Amino acid sequence: MTDQSAVLADVRRGMIPAHIYNDQEIFTLEKERIFSRAWVFVAHESEIARAGDYVVRRVLDDSFIVTRDEAGEIRAHFNMCLHRGMQVCRAEMGNASHFRCPYHGWSYRNDGRIVGLPFHQDAYGGEAGFKRKGQRLLPAPNLDSHNGMIFISLDPDALPLRDFLGDFAFYLDYYTKQSPSGIEMRGPQRWRVKANWKIGAENFAGDMYHTPQTHTSVVEIGLFREPKAEKRKDGCTYWAGNGGGTTYKLPDGDLEERLSYVGYPQEMIERMKTSWSAEQCRVIGQDGFMISAASVFPNLSFVHNWPRVADSDDVLPFISVRQWQPISENETEILSWFAVDAEAPEEFKALSYKAYLMCFGSTGMFEQDDVENWVSLTNTAAGSMARRLRLNSRMGILADDTEVIPALTAEQFAGPGSAHVGYSEYNQRELLARWADHLERPVTAAAALHVGTTGVGEDRRAIATRNGADASDDPPALEHVPSEDAAEVTGA
Amino acid sequence: MAVAKADFEACQGYANCVMAAPTVYDIDDDGTVVLLKEQISEEERSKVEEAVKSCPVSALSIEDE
Ligand code: SF4
Ligand code: FES
Ligand SMILES: [Fe+2]
Repeated sequence: MTDQSAVLADVRRGMIPAHIYNDQEIFTLEKERIFSRAWVFVAHESEIARAGDYVVRRVLDDSFIVTRDEAGEIRAHFNMCLHRGMQVCRAEMGNASHFRCPYHGWSYRNDGRIVGLPFHQDAYGGEAGFKRKGQRLLPAPNLDSHNGMIFISLDPDALPLRDFLGDFAFYLDYYTKQSPSGIEMRGPQRWRVKANWKIGAENFAGDMYHTPQTHTSVVEIGLFREPKAEKRKDGCTYWAGNGGGTTYKLPDGDLEERLSYVGYPQEMIERMKTSWSAEQCRVIGQDGFMISAASVFPNLSFVHNWPRVADSDDVLPFISVRQWQPISENETEILSWFAVDAEAPEEFKALSYKAYLMCFGSTGMFEQDDVENWVSLTNTAAGSMARRLRLNSRMGILADDTEVIPALTAEQFAGPGSAHVGYSEYNQRELLARWADHLERPVTAAAALHVGTTGVGEDRRAIATRNGADASDDPPALEHVPSEDAAEVTGA
Repeated sequence: MAVAKADFEACQGYANCVMAAPTVYDIDDDGTVVLLKEQISEEERSKVEEAVKSCPVSALSIEDE
């Protein structure tokens, strides 16, 4: 494998070798060193609200059944049959108490345990030949959730999710905890674009600079009153923990006035006031910054915007969650969800959904504008000339790394991390610095799991798995959260 | 009243029955069918009939008593 240390060193200086946006070797390394290690978002708990609900989601090439089992625990099973490796569940979402492999008919309970193994006695001589007891679909090595957002990591030794998010959790609440009930998510819409996955993640993390240019038409038709050039530089970007984002500076007012300025009804504002900490309220109410787009390393992004609806001056806010799922070095599958406070009035939910569809999702106007650029960039990055080019991603800092505009002080910005007003690429650099850190660190090979056998080469996890439920390292699952709805069991 | 019956010797652990009527059938650790209940309500009856039909080794039956 090519030594990439020069590439990583350039990236850390904020000088980006253009070919990293379309380079097969880099992509191979990203697969191995980022996506087999980092926490990757797979679903929101509201998508699998009832026992038996499941969605099938991927971490690159690995398919997982993310399900709520009969006991209410959330689990992620590697979607590969223990027999000959067929994909066990081929639907994208549904409700099932059991999953049956279409190939030879082995079946599994929704907690992953094997249930049906046809002719176990005749074919294997029973337990003597194939240890059926305690066998289960391979669990995701690590599973955790925060504000209902379920993440998995393929690294059994991954840091706890909360530590991975770090202080970004402060900002995550604006999107996912506007009331004690949190959000509900709809979707996702799913489509593919011929662009490298990093471009979208960087753009949402901190590219306030593209808005006036790329999205001119949206501003011209009066859909959005905010992204005028001068307005974007008044907002700040912040980076905290493993994520960061952009904000808009709102006109004078207090917390209530500003939340109402972006279109929230009074009853929702009341709930936000009690759900957020004093500092979280201060960022909006006193400092005057309203969160907009954000990204969490490696490939999860958020949007909060408030476009004009109908012909009035009224605006309506919406939230969207999206994932940049890498397909190859030059193709990305975008998953885009609509998110809304579960306690919001029904009318608000409906209008907010419309606002979302107008702006984002496969038909959204912002989406169309953005993707044009990203596809073209990716194409151009494939050639030999791109290998000579180091893109300057140093906006906001001088040659000696001092800031063009000093960071906001704690008096100016109550949130954690570091924040800057003005045009800058702090967040793109932060994101790529994490990218470089991951690419630099080799991964240790994961232990193998042997199905149904005792003997040579067997490792600790396999033994624990065979011992089933009482094993000390029971597969990662999330505690049962009691839900209002009665658990309903239906066949697949 | 309909009653679910199973021939535990004949069962080959396919779990077709569990897929069809999970409230009535399960499979134990040895891979053999278990009757979670014997008395079948009217609502359950169609699912149980489906389970009976789906068993590849005809180990299940339903009897009216
Ligand atoms: S379907 Fe028949 S063979 Fe399969 S578990 Fe049920 S009773 Fe046994
Ligand atoms: S591959 Fe799944 S049952 Fe054979
Ligand atoms: Fe954009």
